[in-house]
Amino acid sequence: MRKRWFMLVAAAAMLMTSTVGAAAVSAATDAAPGQDSKAVGFIFVGPKDDFGYNQAAYQGSQAVQKAFPKLKVLTAENVPEDDSAARVMEGMIDRGAKIIFATSYGHLDAAEKVAKAHPDVAVVQQGNFIEGTITPNVGTFFGTVYEPVYLAGVAAGMATKSDKLGYVYAFPIPQTINNINAFELGAQSVNPKAKTYTVNTSSWCDPAAQAEATKSLLGQGVDVITQHQDCTSTVIKTTEAAGKMTVGYHADASKLAPKGWVAGSQWAWGDLYTDIVKTALAGDFTGSKYNANYRVGYKTGENPFVQSKFGSMITAKDKATIAADKKTISTDGSPFAGPVVAQDGKVIFAAGVVPTYAQIEATDVFVKGVVGDIPKS
Amino acid sequence: MNLGLELMAGGVRGGTSILYAGLGETVSERAGVVNLGIEGSMLCGALAAYAANAASGNPWIGALAGAAAGGALALVHAFFVLNRKTNQLATGLVILFLALGITSLFGAAYVDEIITPFTIWEVPLLSSIPWIGDIFFKADPLTYLSYFMVPLIWWVLFRTRWGLMLRGAGERTEVLRTYGHRPQALQYVAVVIGGLMAGIGGAQLSTAYANAWFENMVQGRGFIAVAVVIFAARQPFKVMAGSYLFGAALALSPALQARGVSINQFALNAVPYVATLLVLMLLARRGSDDAPEGLKKVFEMSPG
Amino acid sequence: MTATLSPPPAPTPTPQAVPEVAPRRGPNWRKIAIALGRTLVAVGGAIVIFGAFMQMKGANPIDAYRSMWESTLQSSDSIEQILVKATPLIFAALAVTVPARAGLVNVGGEGQLVMGGVGGAAVVQWLGTGLPIGLALPLMALGGIIGGALFAGIAALLKLKFDINEAVSTLLLNYVAVDVMLFLIYDAWKDPNGSGQPATAPVPTNEQLPLIGNSSVHLGFVLAIVATGLVWFALTRTSWGFKLSVVGGNPEAARQAGLKVGLLLLSAMLVGGALAGLGGFTQLAGVEHKLRPGYLLTYGYIGFLASWLARHHPIRVALAATLLAAIAVGGDSLQLDSALPAASVNVLMALVLLGVFGWGGKRKAVAA
Repeated sequence: MRKRWFMLVAAAAMLMTSTVGAAAVSAATDAAPGQDSKAVGFIFVGPKDDFGYNQAAYQGSQAVQKAFPKLKVLTAENVPEDDSAARVMEGMIDRGAKIIFATSYGHLDAAEKVAKAHPDVAVVQQGNFIEGTITPNVGTFFGTVYEPVYLAGVAAGMATKSDKLGYVYAFPIPQTINNINAFELGAQSVNPKAKTYTVNTSSWCDPAAQAEATKSLLGQGVDVITQHQDCTSTVIKTTEAAGKMTVGYHADASKLAPKGWVAGSQWAWGDLYTDIVKTALAGDFTGSKYNANYRVGYKTGENPFVQSKFGSMITAKDKATIAADKKTISTDGSPFAGPVVAQDGKVIFAAGVVPTYAQIEATDVFVKGVVGDIPKS
Repeated sequence: MNLGLELMAGGVRGGTSILYAGLGETVSERAGVVNLGIEGSMLCGALAAYAANAASGNPWIGALAGAAAGGALALVHAFFVLNRKTNQLATGLVILFLALGITSLFGAAYVDEIITPFTIWEVPLLSSIPWIGDIFFKADPLTYLSYFMVPLIWWVLFRTRWGLMLRGAGERTEVLRTYGHRPQALQYVAVVIGGLMAGIGGAQLSTAYANAWFENMVQGRGFIAVAVVIFAARQPFKVMAGSYLFGAALALSPALQARGVSINQFALNAVPYVATLLVLMLLARRGSDDAPEGLKKVFEMSPG
Repeated sequence: MTATLSPPPAPTPTPQAVPEVAPRRGPNWRKIAIALGRTLVAVGGAIVIFGAFMQMKGANPIDAYRSMWESTLQSSDSIEQILVKATPLIFAALAVTVPARAGLVNVGGEGQLVMGGVGGAAVVQWLGTGLPIGLALPLMALGGIIGGALFAGIAALLKLKFDINEAVSTLLLNYVAVDVMLFLIYDAWKDPNGSGQPATAPVPTNEQLPLIGNSSVHLGFVLAIVATGLVWFALTRTSWGFKLSVVGGNPEAARQAGLKVGLLLLSAMLVGGALAGLGGFTQLAGVEHKLRPGYLLTYGYIGFLASWLARHHPIRVALAATLLAAIAVGGDSLQLDSALPAASVNVLMALVLLGVFGWGGKRKAVAA
């Protein structure tokens, strides 16, 4: 018995020295991050067919494949938002990927860790924000999706009869807070009495919890419901079954709500992904717009989202109003053009202020008219 | 709708899938077999029901397929714990991982299928009774079926000869054997019934309540069912009450939020589990733990 | 509390009846060979069945296994990743092993790991970030140990005072632990500079567990090996370990022999919880550096299975935990090289476990 124990220790020690020795060999090269990569990797937090956020990102990866047929596109789904994400990305690097997309908000820490260990790999993260200095091979990107969400809010404000809108969201993080605020501000712009009732489910995809959240909102007399979940069909189907209206998110699900579909916002990542890959392959990643907290929206053009189609209750006149709003946002306006007031009456953006994307993203309170509470820090 | 009413209605809505799984686990545990894989049976049931529904357009065919899938998975559990004498808790966990994997492998294709879900059917007259009507009689057919399953299972377990023998298989195997019965066959049946019921619970989730299939959509409700069965001391009617209590606890957070009430939901989320422990403490004080002898052996085995 | 225990299934163990206590008669090579053979056949069967699964999903099983083997065991990076992943699993498994020796079933590794992380993070929260590493790490480790042990202690007290079965209470407490952590990271402990993410501020660099050489393996792995050795020693070479196995074999006889059964059960559970807590700490200080939702999710349950896989023999338990870590890491290859869904690896793991539970190792006596 004792002898066996010593053998185990010896074996472990041998294993460890061999590992350490091997690791020391892999020195960094001088190539620009992502240059001439043979493969590109994508990690998703959920299943790649969730009819929502991850599916949209997966479709983006397939657009990259189409644009670069010789490139090997590696995808990994259900990658948790912890250090195992770093492990999966390392695996992709082992398989030749020098360009990596970490597509969930919580993948940022792992993405930064991998980027630090591999200066020759370009790592871009979708949706989060890097505070402080940004190293030459890393960046974040996102679409200012609260802009089309604002427009959908305008449509919801027009459609509602009870002046009560509902929002089923996952977690109180900047992305969801911005969307909820934009939705309410959009509705208010045409319907000052409109209020948005919020319920979070503490999960990106728990269909039964979504069903219950939807029922709770309906119980409060809400008649238009939208959501920020990764998987989206339950909220839509439950609302439709109750004869109420729905505003979509992530994907065009209008076929799920033939009667109650009002409007929606959906992702179209293909072009942006393709351009990021193109930039990195050419060796131009460092110093490019992607080597930063890159935000793209109506104002910058090339936005990675589109408005879903409108429902029958949105009239031609309504559509014209929404189109005009879109034009304002695309030029000198913003969904958050002041005055914007928080729930407690504090001014977030004063009258006349058109906040920048970064300022909007820093908002961590609900605006007046939102019913619900953010757990504070 | 006022909060109390909404919580009770939410308790029935959210508790029904737990109730099915809990009733199944009750039968299984009465025969002396704990099945943590009930969560897996729910998952398999949810997927099979959704898939069969999509293929046939008939929710009842879906529910049958869900039951069959849940039962088939439980059969694996039964084989290992009864024939191979493996540890019940460990085997149940493995069964759960197996179900997670299998449903993910075969479920991806069904995520964006559209099905013919069970719809809400308001019972004439009954649904207009104040409170009671809103809570119990504006529901889907599987919920109504569950109202019949509770007394049925109670009757079978406690008023039939077969039920007596089943409980005997969980209590005193030797006595049964002496009288020429085969306790193992009874246990097989009990475990598979447990899986069938859990499968219907999964079907209720995917084809009635949430009207969707997603990977891992059961999200721990099978484990909750195991907790409920403990809470309810393996009594079908108490399982019903416990399931609705857990359902109401799950409904509490969204109900309060929709009213703009400030809460820290995570403290609330822990309440049902703490409540179960408190109930167990009270039961212990009264000395009324009536766990089958066979189960005690499971929980208190000496290490392999 | 033991008044309601069921009659003992086995006769009172003498030292000879517990193989690990007195193994000095020399190994029985024939028995070992048979056990090893059965295990290999069981694993082989699992591999064949999973191959059929892969075939059904359109992947070539031979190619899939080859790339899994090459990418997992022939790459130093992957081996490091296995050791990183194995570290908390070893602790989680040992947390099952020690109570099991006393006949207790600890299903609460999941919650105890989380509470270990919470305990470690509490030290950072309360004592600030300026501590020298020589002080910070031991204090955090202590925080983790206390967090895990206290949480397991609740289950032990519920058993001793109220006769609530520990398998039941630890299972329920797992949920409570996760809610406690979420409560903290969504509110009081949320990183004010974390762009709203529900997570604690990162453990400062000077309070992280150092890495071994140039690898990504942290010192926690060494701790896990040391802990394995200590558990083996404590269980097989000390009177405490001997008493535990007497209690585990027959508590009534143990009581009659004058052993303090309650205290022994409590100590086994506390040590188990402390081990899991230490595992939660190593993950915090060595890998994650933050508490966040999903912290060490399912590690407790997989650790539980590892301990059963190895029948609660400490050294084999550590090896089983490492094997399960290797399967998990190998699962990456199924996605990246064979384009199978992520959860496929759960099928492989489950088949291997079922095979070994059902047919591996020694032939067990038919249970009573």
